[in-house]
Amino acid sequence: MGSLQLNSLIKQFGKNTDGRIAVNGISLEVTQGEMVGIIGKSGAGKSTLLRMINRLVEPTSGSISFDGTDVTSLKGKALKKWRSECAMIFQQFHLIDRLDVLTNVLTGTLGRRYNILNLLKIFPKEEKINALKALHKLDLLGKALQRVETLSGGEQQRVAIARALMQKPKILLADEPISSLDPKNSKIVMDDIKKINNEEGITVICNLHSLEVAKQYSKRLIGLSEGKIVFDGPPENLTQELSQELYDLENE
Amino acid sequence: MNNILENYSKNYSEQIKKRRFWNIFIVLGLFVAILISSSIIDLNMTRITSGIPRLGDYIAKILPNLDTNLLFANSQIEGSVPYWYFNFKKYIVLLYETFNMAVLSTLFGFVFALLLSFFSARNITPNVLSFFFVKRFLEFLRGVPEIIFAILFVWALGVGPLAGIIAMTIHTTGALGKLFSEVHENAELKSCEAIRSAGGGWVPEMRYGVLPQVLPNIISYALLRFEINIRASTVIGFVGAGGIGQELYLVINFNYYEEVSAIILLIILTVITIDITSGALRQRIIKGTHD
Amino acid sequence: MTNKDIISLCPQAFLPFWRRSPVTFILVILSIIYLGFAIHFFGFSLSKILEGFANMKPILVAMFTWQDFSTWNFPGIFDGLVQTLAMAFLGTFFATLVCIPISFLTSKKVFRFTLLRFFIKRILDMIRGVDILIWAIIYVRAFGLGPLAGLLSIFTADVGTLGKLFSEATDNADTKQIEGIESSGSNKISVIRFGVVPQIIPIFISQSLYFFESNTRSAVILGVVGAGGIGLQLTERMKAQYWDQALFIIVLILIMVTIIDTLSRAIRKRIIDE
Repeated sequence: MGSLQLNSLIKQFGKNTDGRIAVNGISLEVTQGEMVGIIGKSGAGKSTLLRMINRLVEPTSGSISFDGTDVTSLKGKALKKWRSECAMIFQQFHLIDRLDVLTNVLTGTLGRRYNILNLLKIFPKEEKINALKALHKLDLLGKALQRVETLSGGEQQRVAIARALMQKPKILLADEPISSLDPKNSKIVMDDIKKINNEEGITVICNLHSLEVAKQYSKRLIGLSEGKIVFDGPPENLTQELSQELYDLENE
Repeated sequence: MNNILENYSKNYSEQIKKRRFWNIFIVLGLFVAILISSSIIDLNMTRITSGIPRLGDYIAKILPNLDTNLLFANSQIEGSVPYWYFNFKKYIVLLYETFNMAVLSTLFGFVFALLLSFFSARNITPNVLSFFFVKRFLEFLRGVPEIIFAILFVWALGVGPLAGIIAMTIHTTGALGKLFSEVHENAELKSCEAIRSAGGGWVPEMRYGVLPQVLPNIISYALLRFEINIRASTVIGFVGAGGIGQELYLVINFNYYEEVSAIILLIILTVITIDITSGALRQRIIKGTHD
Repeated sequence: MTNKDIISLCPQAFLPFWRRSPVTFILVILSIIYLGFAIHFFGFSLSKILEGFANMKPILVAMFTWQDFSTWNFPGIFDGLVQTLAMAFLGTFFATLVCIPISFLTSKKVFRFTLLRFFIKRILDMIRGVDILIWAIIYVRAFGLGPLAGLLSIFTADVGTLGKLFSEATDNADTKQIEGIESSGSNKISVIRFGVVPQIIPIFISQSLYFFESNTRSAVILGVVGAGGIGLQLTERMKAQYWDQALFIIVLILIMVTIIDTLSRAIRKRIIDE
């Protein structure tokens, strides 16, 4: 139930001969309710992998399936439905700075309604209540009517999490959620993500630059290097040499 | 050491020579272009010298004969301002019509331009084909001057402001459409990606991802266009497309001399007033975005 | 937490639009009323517009059925195009010559007589308040029909705009360089020659080129009131309902304007890059 399967997923940018291969044959399975941390250097293909799962990036070959449904062949309405089921949060929050927090949270529901209502910025009462509940859960209810640009980075990322919750997702894809935040806010945001994983049973796949944070929050780590899986298992199994290979190559 | 210096100064003098050559070339080119252009236009001193007194005469004729003692007498007395502006009420109605022509054409043009600009911006267009065709279409609308469209619509719709409004709307659509799509092309598309990742389609992406950030800029451009359209609406009547220009054309051709200056003065005042107001408004909008 | 609690914690989110931002709401309503009024003022109706567009149909058909192509007055059309270019070129050139001294007289950095500066600026404002077509119609009265009137109206309109832009550019010139020359005890003329001119010449040239570009467009319409150029050829044909020839000329105008735009943009880019 609710398992996500990737089968020899490949993504190549550019033409055949000189194209850069970002993801090079990744196969893995994630079961419902897991919290997976993906670790690796920048450029290892972490971000491309997450974007492929959401279908923001089209895989060159290979397939993704969820509960037996082939995600890679979805089109139109079905694709939109899939995207709303696997919510995404981004390193730079990707919020609409000039709109208020509540409207930003409500943008998680845009795919579900007629565009004429979307154009007029009309949201049903129940959606507003849900949005406020999500904000309450993240301790941001008091800021609901402020413009996003007046919020701190940590608060903005939590608004993005509230927006993701509005999608009633089965999976939460977090692309470097704390890379633009200070340590204190990083902790708040990671705690919130963990809480969602625990309380709502939402699968979380989280790209993390910091190995420390990854070890602390996930029971399963996946190490990527040059688009390939070099490690998959609990943090205890991660050897010193392997973590050095994953991170310290840059220093050489 | 000496060698280096020598080389250096040699290099320098060569560069100077090159530069001098180009300067002479450009000046000569300009000179030739002026000669050719002057002969095409048949520009010569006698035409200018014979024209200037006539221009002076004409200006003297259209300026009012104001008598300082009678300035505020009633409209029956020559030399008074009311006599000069005996048609004031009519002018005011026409100016109001002119103003409304500019308002309506700017507004309609704004709406059409905004709708089309989402297709003609390279980074957000839903498909390449619509990008190409909408862009070419806007270029055509912008390329043809409004007064040419006005002549066309006067034929089709008859004399009156409707022809002028449609003509200016068309031109405004083209001009604003181009500017708006340039604004869109500079937009930050991060929030669009987020909306897409949440299952939102192209329309919500535009409405929530693009529109809020470009709005101050496009409103400021629309106000600038309004200032331009106010000017245009004062002359589009020359071809019968309504507004005060129609009256001005009439009084010039019928040689109602003093009325010419009366109308032109009103036009200048209107244009300057609107420029100042709209300029202040634009300043506020641009500033507001930096707060 | 129940729905009621949530609503009570943030009741403003549930207010209707007109209660949340009443000022915007009133402005919107007022604009709609004004718009309705304006449309009523002009006596518009959709049927009238549709009727108009229906009347366009024969014109459009006539535009695309080219008759007796070989008999069209091609030399006349060519002369018109060339005249238009010549008008735009000379008008811009002379306006540039006149605007250079004007810009010094109206710039705070160079010239101290406030009163004179004030008067020149107001005169420039007045000139800009009059559309180029009004100038054209006045010059046609004085100098007769033809491109000379067109040239003069471009010249006049440009003095108004370029004068303002040039004096802004002069105002923005770097003060340090000016002070450097002043401190060496030079007179006003050398301050202008060596402190100001080198800084502003590229800006002036590029602005003049830009105006040449936009004046080619303006020169096209001056023919509407008889001030020569291709506009004259075009309006004559439109008045005579030779719609096919009119379309031909419009296409030629578009081509000419595009060529001038491209050339001038390339030159401007080179000047600014240097």
